[in-house]
Amino acid sequence: MQNRISIPIGPQHPLLKEPLSMMIDISGEKVLGGSMRLGYVHRGIERLAEQRNYIQNVLLIERVCGICSHVHTTTYCYAVEALLGIEIPPRAQYIRALMCELERIHSHLLWLGILAKHVGLETIFMHAWHDRESSLDIMEAISGGRVSHAANQIGGVSFNLDKAQAEMIRSTISNLRTQVEGLLNVIETEPALHARTQGVAPVSAEMIRQYCVVGPIARASGVDIDLRRDDPLPPYDQLEFKVITHADGDAWARTLVRAQETRESLNLCDTIMRDMPDGEVLVRAPRKVPPGEAIIRSEAPRGEVFYYLRSDGSENPARVKIRTPTLSALSMIPAQLAAIQVADIPVVLAGIDLCVACADR
Amino acid sequence: MIEELFFLLVFPGMTFQVVCGLGFEWLDRKLLAMFQRRVGPPWYQPLADMIKLFSKEDLLPKGANEMVAAFLPLLSLSAVLTAGLYIPIAGFSPVSFEGDLIVILFLMSVPTLAYYVAGIVSVGIYSILGGGRSLLQFFSYEVPLLIALSGPAILARSWSVSGVMSAQAGLGPFILFQPLGFVLAMVGLIGKLKRDPLDIPKAKSEVVGGSLTEFTGAKLAFWHLVMNVQAIVGIFLLVNLFLAWPQMLHPLLTAGIFLAQCLIMILILSTTSSVFARLRIDQLAGLGWRILVPLALLQVAVVILMGV
Amino acid sequence: MTKFNLQSMIDKIEDATGTPGEVYDGINNDETIYIEPDQLVDVINILRDHFDCIHLTAITAQQREDQHDTIEVMYHFWKGRGITLLMKLPTSTPQLTSIIDFLPGADFYEREVAEMFGIHYTGREETPPLLLPDDWQNGPPFIGREENDAE
Repeated sequence: MQNRISIPIGPQHPLLKEPLSMMIDISGEKVLGGSMRLGYVHRGIERLAEQRNYIQNVLLIERVCGICSHVHTTTYCYAVEALLGIEIPPRAQYIRALMCELERIHSHLLWLGILAKHVGLETIFMHAWHDRESSLDIMEAISGGRVSHAANQIGGVSFNLDKAQAEMIRSTISNLRTQVEGLLNVIETEPALHARTQGVAPVSAEMIRQYCVVGPIARASGVDIDLRRDDPLPPYDQLEFKVITHADGDAWARTLVRAQETRESLNLCDTIMRDMPDGEVLVRAPRKVPPGEAIIRSEAPRGEVFYYLRSDGSENPARVKIRTPTLSALSMIPAQLAAIQVADIPVVLAGIDLCVACADR
Repeated sequence: MIEELFFLLVFPGMTFQVVCGLGFEWLDRKLLAMFQRRVGPPWYQPLADMIKLFSKEDLLPKGANEMVAAFLPLLSLSAVLTAGLYIPIAGFSPVSFEGDLIVILFLMSVPTLAYYVAGIVSVGIYSILGGGRSLLQFFSYEVPLLIALSGPAILARSWSVSGVMSAQAGLGPFILFQPLGFVLAMVGLIGKLKRDPLDIPKAKSEVVGGSLTEFTGAKLAFWHLVMNVQAIVGIFLLVNLFLAWPQMLHPLLTAGIFLAQCLIMILILSTTSSVFARLRIDQLAGLGWRILVPLALLQVAVVILMGV
Repeated sequence: MTKFNLQSMIDKIEDATGTPGEVYDGINNDETIYIEPDQLVDVINILRDHFDCIHLTAITAQQREDQHDTIEVMYHFWKGRGITLLMKLPTSTPQLTSIIDFLPGADFYEREVAEMFGIHYTGREETPPLLLPDDWQNGPPFIGREENDAE
């Protein structure tokens, strides 16, 4: 009879991109449960935001997370603009959405590589990250940064797209689409990936609702929520796209949902580029924000991002509350880990697509 | 005396095998990089890695047995180097005797068991887990490997590798007679070398580094050398047992053919490494006992009937 | 399950607890109801039973600069539209009932609000720190902020 031992995963571990501490109890090759401790990347951003003015906060908020930095600043800027009572020009809205979708593509391709690497398919990891470079190249060409773009300003975006850049974006997206289709083909037919992910750690829709989980994890268990459709920020209310859901809720469903969402995002990028109206990209915004409270929600690559912003009339915000999607996904991990095998731990953790910096803020 | 020392230390002994081992590592990494759209390391990389490792601090966790931990890689290295002595290189074999195949197989198991003991003795949670997994894996692939490798011996009516090779001179390469045995032997070799898809004992995402998690410095350099020499000795063995060629040719041509055969084997190993995903330990155990062993027994039965 | 309707929500709160909630319209986008802290569990039950709404997005706590003796706590729900429950707690004894028995997802939110604002949750054993280090000595970071800012 094998006895119970506790293995630590983290704070440093090949499985984790960011520090997180988990103690997992195992007996032989079976996992019995685990506990978790966050806070290794806690920078106190909510508190820091109260000590800087609204314009400085755009740059601070960008650093909540490296992978989904743009959607954080987008949500924050929309919240400030709601308090100011201004509306940004349509072209700026479209550019913000374009960057959001590019970010979704790069985040999902990153995640795909990590999952493949943990299963042992290093070749898919290398190919996925090679393709991801195309989307990062677009973001760098138009905004100047690969992951921290400083694209948003209060009142609009900080750059415009000229004809040459628009053409470059269209052709890169079309190349990327061919590559991604090839990758999706491999994933959907690769038997080893099926064997490692099918039936692993299924999560029921009821558990999703009880743990308030959002994003691709929820959609993979059949819970149909997507804030781009349910509470759209402009211009998503004018764009057509499909929300991908799968019913099984196991690691394979989570893989499929994210893989197919990448394809949808590529289509959305095309739609955005096609429908982008002309005009300016920035309106002048006053420095002092009138007192008030605003709540804005948006869909990051990992799910629902929630911002509560309160202004007391001065140059600094009085309260910025950020809630990121990974926080609820993390709370579900101990429940998910019960009764799986040790070899499935990487698949389960990778399937959650952790962004611990988001959760810790 | 001088001749014996030459065979022992230079060719086909220590120096030759170490050089071949490092060459194997380079070729493997370069091929992997090609499959993954990367550039890959330059030819001297494995040697540079080894030299760099020798300059690193050599320490173990508290409670680990330093002496045993230092002894194990050296024991494994001597075992595989000795095993390599009995295997003909391009037909040239200074030492051989009836039954040396058995000795080679025994010596090749020493590193696996030493790997397990290394995990236990270095007292880290991941080392112990990795060591346990390596023993589980050993039970799954070793039996089909041994059965598959006895096929050529039965067909050649000789338990010496040189004997098997000379038998092929008359009958033709044994892969034609027992292709299934060759495939099973390849699977067994992948398991013995702990390569993808059978690198379960050192799966980075699950057990960090397996048995060797806590090893650093010179000890780790020797372990890497053991892995490389083990790989090259395994390749030589399989080439001799299944792919031999008539010996009546010019020695340079024989050497060239032998080299080509080894390169093909390395290509097969690298391709399977980059294409397949890692198996789970229970999937491997199922595969080993439910599929590989019956197939191996079937192959040997066919071989016995053929020989009759 | 009916679609969320603010007036019917207020009526149901009055039916269940005797005191109607007050509509608070300070926040754009969300329907906000101001309730008493001890009505919390009842109101959440109404949300779940009548409107099938259990998606808790966040628990926000804040202290207004001109009201240092109260802590405002907001529970943000989502069902087709944002629904926020607003409560005011006294700074000296901030206490709330924990809801993790029927909503396990609230665990992390409660722990964060407990360590950042010093709110005490009844009905659960303890609230271990979530984001702050284990040896944090300086008390809730968001309370008494002028002293904390100096660090």
